[in-house]
Amino acid sequence: MTIEKTALAPGQEAPGEQATTPGTAPRSRLRDNRSAYSLLAPNLLLIGLFLLVPLVWSLLMAFQAKRSFGLGEWSGLTNLSRLLSDDVFWRALLNTAIFTVATVPLSVGLGLALALLMDKALPGRGVFRTIVYLPIAVSSLVVSLVGLLLFDESIGILNGVLRDLGVGPVAWQSNGALAMLSVVVMTLWTRVGFGMLVYLAALQDVDSEVLEAATMDGAGGLDRIRHVVVPWLRPTTFFLVVINMIWSFQVFDVVYVMTNGGPGYSTTMLVTYAYDEGFGPSRNFGYGATVGLVLLVITLAITAVQLRVNRRQEA
Amino acid sequence: MPPPPSLSRRALLGSALGLGAYGLSGCAGLTERVSSTSRGSRDTLTFQTYGTDVEGNIYDVLARRFEEQNRGVTVDVTVVPFAEASTGIDAGLVSGTAPDIFRVDYPTMGVYASTGQLLDLEDSLDELAGDSSKAFMDAVTDRGRVFGIPQHVDTSALVYRPDVLRDAGITSVPDRPEDAWSWEEFAQVAATLRDAAPAGSSAFAVNWQALGAFRWLNFLFQAGGHVYDEDRTRSLLTSASATRALDFTKSFFDEGLVPQTSSTKAATYPDALFTSGSLAMLYAGNFLLPSFADTIKDRFEYAVTYLPRDRRRASELGGNALVATKGATNPELASEFLTFMAAPAQMKDFCEASVLLPTRDSLLSQELDFAVAADLMPVYADQVTTIEPRDVADVTTATFAEVNLSLANELETCFLSGRGTADTLQALAEQVDESAYLNRQDAS
Repeated sequence: MTIEKTALAPGQEAPGEQATTPGTAPRSRLRDNRSAYSLLAPNLLLIGLFLLVPLVWSLLMAFQAKRSFGLGEWSGLTNLSRLLSDDVFWRALLNTAIFTVATVPLSVGLGLALALLMDKALPGRGVFRTIVYLPIAVSSLVVSLVGLLLFDESIGILNGVLRDLGVGPVAWQSNGALAMLSVVVMTLWTRVGFGMLVYLAALQDVDSEVLEAATMDGAGGLDRIRHVVVPWLRPTTFFLVVINMIWSFQVFDVVYVMTNGGPGYSTTMLVTYAYDEGFGPSRNFGYGATVGLVLLVITLAITAVQLRVNRRQEA
Repeated sequence: MPPPPSLSRRALLGSALGLGAYGLSGCAGLTERVSSTSRGSRDTLTFQTYGTDVEGNIYDVLARRFEEQNRGVTVDVTVVPFAEASTGIDAGLVSGTAPDIFRVDYPTMGVYASTGQLLDLEDSLDELAGDSSKAFMDAVTDRGRVFGIPQHVDTSALVYRPDVLRDAGITSVPDRPEDAWSWEEFAQVAATLRDAAPAGSSAFAVNWQALGAFRWLNFLFQAGGHVYDEDRTRSLLTSASATRALDFTKSFFDEGLVPQTSSTKAATYPDALFTSGSLAMLYAGNFLLPSFADTIKDRFEYAVTYLPRDRRRASELGGNALVATKGATNPELASEFLTFMAAPAQMKDFCEASVLLPTRDSLLSQELDFAVAADLMPVYADQVTTIEPRDVADVTTATFAEVNLSLANELETCFLSGRGTADTLQALAEQVDESAYLNRQDAS
């Protein structure tokens, strides 16, 4: 077998060979690799210990009848077959899908709108940016408690104001659709700031010459946004859609604090259901792990589809 | 010009690791969960509890008293939020770091007792068993073995505002157990209060939220029903009694007698509505009386009457046991501590300070000097006498924690989402049957 060397221009050295003498390259590469691995080791260790081991463990538990204590018993596909005939699981899946469809486009769209607004030379825009971004810095538990304070049907601020206005109290907690709406609103409040910040950074890269050329060609403000800015921001939008979808599928604390999955199962999500089954009073680790596994598969599938679509668009 | 200081890769790595370790140790205080548990040692007992500040303080006082009586022994008391207690204990039991002693409610105790996690106390509690009703001892017994001390009991009664009832024209409230309102009488009173209530107020609310969903069983028992058959292997939730109980409780929501936000999965508890003055009556446990005294003060008058009755009187077994873990480092010391806590003097002091009811007959028959609301406690003391051994058996099975969760979910679907009584009971019965396999193991 022969190895063909890439032709090099006179005086040009092959990459990696620049400062090495013959016979020392492998040792140097070995040393570099060792350094790289030693720097990566803490992260790899943490990922292995706290992500991969639990992941494999929960995969195994999904095929066991496993409670809090004692060893689990292999139960084959029992958990999966129960899952498929479990109305609550399907309801939780539907709720999660509805929540995702409601939150992802709005998070991304409102983030872009705010970024475009804050990108202008507005007076006090630093203050406005901070206000919009602030919920990101606040603990999600605190945000959820604020949501509870706002939307509580009996003693909440919103219903107090509505009552004073003579509109009457709104059933934020006892009506399924309105309970979902309250959860969506509080989630958007925490996410829009992140979208705005990422878009603001991306907007700095939009080529001003292209924008000028579009203006010269007679494009108005909206046309420039639609035909220049939005396509330019496609990688950022892709990133935000993926991350928001993953966040939406992982929603937990807002639901747990504000509605506890109710009324009935109206706001029960996949994660809250997995938590209730695995760590709630029933302590059914095996079934909770099965719900979690389904969540993982769905998240992976969505990410894979989006990556594929994005790659096709870029090609 | 001197050469710039050089930093070797080894030094850089060492520094980074050192800084990382320092950073992590600095974070420990922020990330350590309050419910993390630890085992004791030969002379040290670890004791995890939850509850109000008053309860935490009296546990501490009693722990110091035990130390005084047992020189060289230390009892570390840790108070955690109720919502985190079980998670911490479960993790501790699995990892071998569970506290030597912990407090647990009766409906949850079955999970630990049936899976062999608790220390068998059979021989050390004979004296207590002789002074306590069978129902209370049954609550801490699994397959004939005693695994804890029933330290106290609490239950529900009907707290009401005499001023609101008077204004609505209701002049007579039962003051003797035998005069307790029937369900029909109670529904009439509630409807009258609803019609007279100002906007934003309701006639009453029931305390069945979250882990209190099992308090719906009061209605089931009152109607003459039960969760399980005699050997606790099959559900009886599709019976006529269950139908009557669910129809009655569903009517609370259908007829606007209770706030829609007081269902079984509500994110908030209705006692806040009562103390804020927007409820005329409330099904409330006696453990709430100290907080009522503290928050209501003299803003309005409140009193207590007996729970409404149907075919029989009934009330839930609330309260908590103290248990020791099987893996306690010094099981003899753990057992001694539990015996000490179950002694009349300690039980009396604990119940008087915390406004809870003792489980010893000798104390129940005494007039205790409760810290607050002593005039209201006789009604609760009477309610406790309505608890029957079979009611206790229903809520202390190995799988009752699951049943409790099913109750919260299914009842709310019935109360708020319009699902019918028959469908709800069928769904509940199926879930109870499905989770009853551990009970069948118990029986075999």
